[in-house]
Amino acid sequence: MLNSFKASIMSAISPDLPPPPNGRNGEKFRYSRPLFLELLSEDELRASSDHNIRPIIVPRDISLLPWGTGYAECVNSGKSRRNEDQAAFRRQVLSDPNRIHPDLPYTYFGIFDGHAGYGAALAASYQLSLILHEKLVDCIELLLPRDAVNGDERVAAINPAFPHPKIFERSVTKDELIIGALEAAFFDMDELVDHDNSRYRDAGGCTACVVLFINGKMYVANAGDSRAVLCQRRSAAPKNPNSTAADGDGNGNEKTEKIEPDPVDDTLSYATPFSFDHTPETERIRLENVARLRPELIESYYVAMEYAKRPQEKNLGQRVLCRKGTMKGWTYKTVTSRDLAMPVVNGEGKRSRLLGTLGVTRGFGDHRLKAINRQIPIKPFLTPHPDVRIRDLSQVVSIPDEHNEDGDYGVLVMATDGLWDVSENEAVARTVFQTLTRYPQEKHRYTMAAQELVARARGKVNDSGHWRLADSKAAATVDDISVIVIPVYQYYKEHVEWTQTCAQRKLAQQNNTQKKVEVEQQVPNEAIVEVEESIVVEVDEKTPLEAHVESVSETLQQVQLEASGEPEKLDKENNSSAAETSATTTAGKATGTTTGTAADNGNGPTKGGTTNAMPAKQRNNNKKK
Amino acid sequence: MSYAYLFKYIIIGDTGVGKSCLLLQFTDKRFQPVHDLTIGVEFGARMITIDGKQIKLQIWDTAGQEAFRSITRSYYRGAAGALLVYDITRRETFNHLTTWLEDARQHSNSNMVIMLIGNKSDLDSRREVKKEEGEAFAREHGLVFMETSARTAANVEEAFINTAKEIYEKIQEGVFDINNEANGIKIGQQATPTNPALPGSGGAGGAANSGCC
Repeated sequence: MLNSFKASIMSAISPDLPPPPNGRNGEKFRYSRPLFLELLSEDELRASSDHNIRPIIVPRDISLLPWGTGYAECVNSGKSRRNEDQAAFRRQVLSDPNRIHPDLPYTYFGIFDGHAGYGAALAASYQLSLILHEKLVDCIELLLPRDAVNGDERVAAINPAFPHPKIFERSVTKDELIIGALEAAFFDMDELVDHDNSRYRDAGGCTACVVLFINGKMYVANAGDSRAVLCQRRSAAPKNPNSTAADGDGNGNEKTEKIEPDPVDDTLSYATPFSFDHTPETERIRLENVARLRPELIESYYVAMEYAKRPQEKNLGQRVLCRKGTMKGWTYKTVTSRDLAMPVVNGEGKRSRLLGTLGVTRGFGDHRLKAINRQIPIKPFLTPHPDVRIRDLSQVVSIPDEHNEDGDYGVLVMATDGLWDVSENEAVARTVFQTLTRYPQEKHRYTMAAQELVARARGKVNDSGHWRLADSKAAATVDDISVIVIPVYQYYKEHVEWTQTCAQRKLAQQNNTQKKVEVEQQVPNEAIVEVEESIVVEVDEKTPLEAHVESVSETLQQVQLEASGEPEKLDKENNSSAAETSATTTAGKATGTTTGTAADNGNGPTKGGTTNAMPAKQRNNNKKK
Repeated sequence: MSYAYLFKYIIIGDTGVGKSCLLLQFTDKRFQPVHDLTIGVEFGARMITIDGKQIKLQIWDTAGQEAFRSITRSYYRGAAGALLVYDITRRETFNHLTTWLEDARQHSNSNMVIMLIGNKSDLDSRREVKKEEGEAFAREHGLVFMETSARTAANVEEAFINTAKEIYEKIQEGVFDINNEANGIKIGQQATPTNPALPGSGGAGGAANSGCC
């Protein structure tokens, strides 16, 4: 919980700085909520951030998010005027530059918890996915399957995970390439925030927790104290299968009246963290090493030591239990005046602070943040480096059935610390499955789960205006809360369908190639046209060429706008892809590797992976003509 | 645009009685025959004029389904007015009014103005609840009553504006503590020459400064 200190930073940095000359109020992006919430007017924004009521906001149109994915959010109780959390999602395809393999679709979700301002989180919600896309495009050849088509049959048989053995001295797996893309994107995003700081108002900082679904696998990258948790049910059948079955339809009345008793046995759900929280406490060793190796960073104000009890002046000359640097255990030392300085990492648990100031140690931004009451920069201690965890969904054994629609694929819950501060992982898993059991059929069931999680963490306000948890008198969270609930199996189903479509296409392609060879010997020119047409017929007709042309020209337009130095107009043109650096490079590659950017505008998500996979081929054919 | 007062409304009632359609008709002057289920809470806003003063209505449209009731309850707080809506072609939506009213009275501030709305008055041929029954219920519970049609827009303006008039009168009588935002009333910049200190929270201060709400 970063509340009180966040507030103090807010006042320290002073949001009332005069706006820099360029840009609207010195902001790169106009403040907004995640685009899929469609809170478009200032009135809606304002009502949604009512600090007294703290309404729980869910998407108006739940079909904007793929697979029935749920989302809910709630503003803080007044510690900052804006909700400083942000969320983003994007669906995209990676196209084979050699036009042999079908496009590789992927889906991305991200959640960002801002502090000391909303700028960094807002920028990350718009730009990180674009940067990540570039990084993936960079290594697309290596991500494509190695097979007979590109002459690697022999290698593929030996080691399918080993791309281009002739190029590298070391083995590089596809997993490592995707992890690398995520890591590099995080570093670039942080650099971009730094770069923009000189031109716009200071953006503050933010955490980042993103999930990438690609190639039948799930990659979770996290920097900071937001968290992703995989919630699963034990495969054991329910104790009383009859009652579960009856709950669905016949006994509608009874069901609505009896909401309180837990329909899910506690032992039947469990939670697996899919990220690691980066706080001063969990990263003590790294932070103290930074201070030890670069003592000039902390001058004499701080000391790179941890004490069992923080020594005071009266303890001078006495012995005190302490540990330093990489030590895991404790040892005695005699207290000197140096030991009276504040430790680099101070406090425990959620209250632990770096240089007495910051409660989170990875993420983007904070480039100008100074330690409270000191002129010591904090950024050298921070890093955007994410931990990446992988789950290979093809290895999941339990197949979903009527008692467990998610199987062992589970439900991935990603949330900012507003949720995790007051909810144990296991309790979150329980709430998710209780809610899903209560709404067995509804297409908005995952939204209900997200809403329920937010409602519980937010609690209720009592007469004296304090937010309390419903089941105990304990304090509820006063922080912003954002929750994404992703039904992982729905992605995997889509992925399997995609691989099947690809296999069918490959077959058809091989037939065509044969035909082509035969005909080419006689009338080459006509034959090519014929074959191309036959492919065009196969591909999806719903995605017209115009969409692509539009997106490319849009991107170009942005680049031009950017070049003429009109950031305001740029924002207006297209909020979702206004990233300058990425816009430039994307435009450069657009002809070969980028398809429509519609995903963020809500058109993309309704399309399945298969339809997304098609347009590039169609385009390429048209281009040849 | 600046306003003298901002009133917060909440629209409640069973699912399918036309709450979202009433809001859409009032804020956008259009009717949408097929409307998705409201899952969370929706917002609308419109400026009206009462007694020569600009008044902004901020309207919260809630989910009617039973499943959402616990979440809906948290929105009563801080509402100055409530539109309690039933469907004149569905008797059960009328029968549930008592439950809704209890809920509203329990979770709102005691001065909240409640307007009872019998919606879908254009479907007179399928009417199941007589107008007199609505009137009687309103009289019994001290509510203002009106039949409306979100489809034809009949009485929709009146419903929202009459509620506002009632709230405005209560302010004039000094019934509402207008400095407590939890009552669902916010003073704008036009309110009085001696613009009273705005309620404490940073949110309210910021909102007023930007001057567009």
